[in-house]
Amino acid sequence: MRWGMAIELKRCIGCYECVLACKAEHFLPPDIFWNRVLIGESGKYPTVTKLIYNVRCNQCADPPCVKVCPTGATQQREDGIVWVDEDKCVGCRYCMVACPYQMRTIYEDGNAQYFPGQGLTEHEKAGRELYPHQPGVVQKCIFCKERIDAGLAAGLTPGVDREATPACVISCPTKAMHFGDLDDPYSEINRIIKEKKGHQFHPEYGTDPSIYYID
Amino acid sequence: MIQTKPYDFMVKYTQQKEWIEGRGNFIAFAFFLGGISGGLYLAASYFDSLLGQFVAWLLALLMGVSYMIHLSKPFRFWRMFMKPGTSWIARGFIFIMLFIGFTFIQLILSQWVSGATAAITTFTVLAGIFAFAQSIYTGFAVSYVSAIKIWNSAILPILFVVCGITGGLAILLAIMMSGDHAQLVALENVIRVMLIAFAIIVGVYLWNTTYSSITAKDSVVRLIRGSLAPLFWIGVFFFGILIPIVISVSTYFAGEAATGLLITAVISEIIGGLALRFAVLKAGVYSPLLPAE
Repeated sequence: MRWGMAIELKRCIGCYECVLACKAEHFLPPDIFWNRVLIGESGKYPTVTKLIYNVRCNQCADPPCVKVCPTGATQQREDGIVWVDEDKCVGCRYCMVACPYQMRTIYEDGNAQYFPGQGLTEHEKAGRELYPHQPGVVQKCIFCKERIDAGLAAGLTPGVDREATPACVISCPTKAMHFGDLDDPYSEINRIIKEKKGHQFHPEYGTDPSIYYID
Repeated sequence: MIQTKPYDFMVKYTQQKEWIEGRGNFIAFAFFLGGISGGLYLAASYFDSLLGQFVAWLLALLMGVSYMIHLSKPFRFWRMFMKPGTSWIARGFIFIMLFIGFTFIQLILSQWVSGATAAITTFTVLAGIFAFAQSIYTGFAVSYVSAIKIWNSAILPILFVVCGITGGLAILLAIMMSGDHAQLVALENVIRVMLIAFAIIVGVYLWNTTYSSITAKDSVVRLIRGSLAPLFWIGVFFFGILIPIVISVSTYFAGEAATGLLITAVISEIIGGLALRFAVLKAGVYSPLLPAE
């Protein structure tokens, strides 16, 4: 089993709903983003193309971040999900340097607030209780592994059942993102990748990302 | 042309910052200190200088301190021994600790139990092995990062170790300046050879890098005539190569060197070594995330 994602670029309208869903799901502090939406333009008038890329940790099958981590804080599960054990991270930033996609970030200011000087919002207070983030450690997208684990325990199928699927995927209003098992040749995600010619970012890096983009 | 403001890293060559800005400066210092500490120990052992070995030990301790400052969670440093199987930082941490330990024992024996020659030799050899390992691993830690093309070179560990040994020899020169004249001449001769080797390796490294990939070439251009040119030409070339070589060659032909000149060469070489680590780390750039138009 290897969880993966396929993103249809032409379906994405750049609404940032996936970014907000991720922020809310993981109670991410200010200036910390586990996924991002890049919006730009390509070409010259009159042949201008709008580009919208939705990016996050690629959950590489051969992740350099796992290899370079000196403490074992960055780990890869059997289902391919790469995550950071915050209790083990020393903040040496070797993983950030080693990630060719620059998809890792360090949470440094533990006192950062969304509305400085006005106190914490109820959401921030709840986050510090329910999903505390340690300052000084590296953070990244974890494919909402908590949702996947809870869903599987409840007999649900990630990518099919909403409760077991990453928050960004289920929040997308245009269904631009698909989630599923890359190792299952009959899975919906594999069908989409095959039929629509999905491609990975920079396959030449040899990391075998689990996220495929469809032009 | 792609126009994006907030996420330049996706469309442009972007400099790595984690290992050069803020706390990241301290890893550059640690790499530098590790290099000269290892180099100095090897040189001091060859020239039989107990004071040189002691200074090398102090520099290794300083390297450890610099490492600690670099970490966001320094009290968890013990976890850095956990993954030597794949992580060069973990391997390096073990090398540093073993070097400090073996050198400490060797220094104690040499100073107070000088009759235990077999034990002193054993611990000197062990410390020497880890001095070399400590000096060269910094290059491997950097060159292992395949994401940054200018770093991902087999020449880099050699460059770092040669730079470390040259810096170590320079410090030993300062330590032995008032000592035996014959040894000083021998030391100067070794430094001359190492300086020339260092200059050649810097040249080969940059030349080789220019055709390894477009991203690596971008890094070299930054170093040679871009934003990092002052650091490279003044720090690495002028202080690290030109001044020491001019002094070394001139003293070779002029005979005995003035103390002031030798001290200038030593300080210049140390500045050059530090500048090299900063220049290489600052020149590290990533390829754009999105494919070119």
